[in-house]
Amino acid sequence: MITVVSGLPRAGTSLMMQMLSAGGLTLLSDGQRAADANNPRGYFEWEPIKALPRNPACIAEAEGKVVKVISTLLLSLPAGFSYKVVFMERPLAEVVASQAAMLQKLGTQGAALPPRALEAALESHLKQVKAALRQRPEISVCWLEHHQVLLDPEAAAATVQKFLGVPLDLAAMSAQVDPALYRQRLPAKG
Amino acid sequence: MVGWFAGHPAEPINGVAVSDLYPLAVGPPEKPWPLPPGAIHPESLRDQLAELRLHPSEVGPDAILPFVPQAAKVDQEKDKGLAIVAQLLAENCCIHNVATWILETQPWDLLAVYYNGIDHFSHGFMAYHPPRMDGLPEETFEIYKDVVAGTYRFHDMMLHTLLELAGPEATVILCSDHGFHSDHLRPRGIPDEPAGPAVQHREFGVICMKGPHLKQDERIYGATLLDITPTVLTLFGLPVGDDMDGRVLVQAFQETPPIERIPSWEQVPGECGMHPPDLRVDPESAQAVLNQFAALGYIAPTDDQKKAAASAVREAKYNLARVYMDKGQPQLALPLLEELTAEQPDQARFAQHLAQCYFGLRRVADAKRILEDLMSRPDTPAGPKRGAEGEPRPPAPTEALNRSAALANPERASNAAEAQQTPVAGPWANWLMGVIHFEEGKMEEALECLLQAEQSNPRLPELHLRIGQTYLRLRRNKEAERAFCKALDIDGDSAEAHMGLAVVSLRRQDDERAVEEALLAVSLKHFLPLGHFYLGVSLARLGHFHRAGLAFETAVTMAPSFLSAHRWLVMINNRPGGDPAKAAEHRRLISDVLQSRKGARNP
Repeated sequence: MITVVSGLPRAGTSLMMQMLSAGGLTLLSDGQRAADANNPRGYFEWEPIKALPRNPACIAEAEGKVVKVISTLLLSLPAGFSYKVVFMERPLAEVVASQAAMLQKLGTQGAALPPRALEAALESHLKQVKAALRQRPEISVCWLEHHQVLLDPEAAAATVQKFLGVPLDLAAMSAQVDPALYRQRLPAKG
Repeated sequence: MVGWFAGHPAEPINGVAVSDLYPLAVGPPEKPWPLPPGAIHPESLRDQLAELRLHPSEVGPDAILPFVPQAAKVDQEKDKGLAIVAQLLAENCCIHNVATWILETQPWDLLAVYYNGIDHFSHGFMAYHPPRMDGLPEETFEIYKDVVAGTYRFHDMMLHTLLELAGPEATVILCSDHGFHSDHLRPRGIPDEPAGPAVQHREFGVICMKGPHLKQDERIYGATLLDITPTVLTLFGLPVGDDMDGRVLVQAFQETPPIERIPSWEQVPGECGMHPPDLRVDPESAQAVLNQFAALGYIAPTDDQKKAAASAVREAKYNLARVYMDKGQPQLALPLLEELTAEQPDQARFAQHLAQCYFGLRRVADAKRILEDLMSRPDTPAGPKRGAEGEPRPPAPTEALNRSAALANPERASNAAEAQQTPVAGPWANWLMGVIHFEEGKMEEALECLLQAEQSNPRLPELHLRIGQTYLRLRRNKEAERAFCKALDIDGDSAEAHMGLAVVSLRRQDDERAVEEALLAVSLKHFLPLGHFYLGVSLARLGHFHRAGLAFETAVTMAPSFLSAHRWLVMINNRPGGDPAKAAEHRRLISDVLQSRKGARNP
């Protein structure tokens, strides 16, 4: 079994990696991408996964571990393995705002699209990923709202434990949530 | 459906679908070789079909030697030719294994298989096919000269197996989407643009049919790829869509089949084997997401992949614009071509098509402005890569092959993406300017531009046709004849050149030669209303009025508003022994055409 944490960039995937590590699971991560102002606690990434489409066989190293696989790369997960995917979801306007802030700090340029058009592109991308996952019986998915994790970390940790079917340290998991790091928040309605 | 071009991911049809990414080997043989997700439908067959694949490393000397008898002489460190042969053999064996597995084990009523072997082997090795091309070293010619012939033998063997397994009751259609230049028309280089390898293609492909209700030894004239679907639907007793551009190839049937019609299959509710809407991707939006994720550092596409992805978006727009132009909808092509030209002003091909588009929209001044700009650019090579002495050289095995394969699978792109950066003007700007002058009736100016284009590249048969047509309009028959003969020297299968010679012969009162040339023209390209017209004129002049009538009728069936053909039909049918009712009918049709033209002028 390979446990995968996925979602759009800036949807809370690093937070979930942190929680699973605290919960007692082994992460497949090489620390090549160090913590920075965008993710003060680190990214928990494994560099070779970024080239998954060119080297799908590399996923074998994640057997029995947790690996972060960004949404677009989920489509390249090879058959022949069993996957449990914790997929982090966050309002797209927040994702786009957070990505814009990150790009600014990185000094790089992303898609040449205005925010609303980028939201539409990401929405269509998510639909494609979800439709593709529905066709992959070997991949089971737990959809988890980033907001819910922040609002009720204990419940979120319990949901993940139930989905993964392994005992986890729920208290340690929920202790990882620091609402102060929730910076790109949509204005409250009403 | 097996191996269909650009057929990934496999569509959820009511049957088995195997995408064209199924046979592609990734990584060295000692590593696992997982199937890409989406390569097989239904998913339950994945493991079983994965086992049928053949890795290139499993292709041994016994399989290579029939293609390259002198394989032992190849220095495989420097020359990747044998690896290419092994790769193409393995890929086509994968496809063949699935096709035969389906025929042997599955209930089937239709099997559609695409073998890319003849195309890919030809892109790789046609330059080595005898006779030896100028500039090709004798030694490499000797090594690879048997590859193409071996490829055809190999495909004949696979076809034999397919026919045996399908059985005598099966209807079989073998067709190709294009031919391949195997003679003196082989290009001496590949233009530096994504679709560059297409210059190696010959316009005429092949179609052969066999089956219980089909004629034998009958030639099919004028068939196109668009005719395949209507014909297959008719074979299954299913209606043909009125929105389909093709026709049923009725001449292949022993008895004319009943052809049912419906307005459109697009409007028929129910499952049609397409992907769910969420899986259909807009390439531009997907590219934006890819760029965003890469900029954020979450994915690491290679430079080639980035270029290939950007190229895929650009080429999709370009191809769509070309389709609109071919369909006579320049107004729909215009925004696409304007965007492409603004994005890459150095790309002569975008500017050329924009000029053509403006011309189609009667914006002649805009068209001329672009062409004048193109003609003022420094004289750039027409595209083919050149050898040390500056002479174009035959393409190396990997060159055309990689770029041809990249058209179907961007993952394979090596140099396709970067190739588009080269500005290429060549003879096209002068050629199009000549066409514009021609259409404006300025024949002297047209001729001047066309002759300049000829100086840039004297080996373009269509250019000589246009030169010949211009001379015809100038009543310079001798020069026209010379131009049409030049076109035929380059391409002996040019229907338009034979038609031009028919006109020259008619002007010289050489009606027998005119019949001969017009017959050659319409046998090469059946859908040629003018060809049938000139055949009719020459036959009528020789007194063969019945046969002439048939030729004119064919012309008006293809071009219903062809006034001169209708007039000839009036005249022929008013002769003693003619059919006065038919004459009256054609007179009425002439009147209808004139009325509608008048209406169009004064709406």
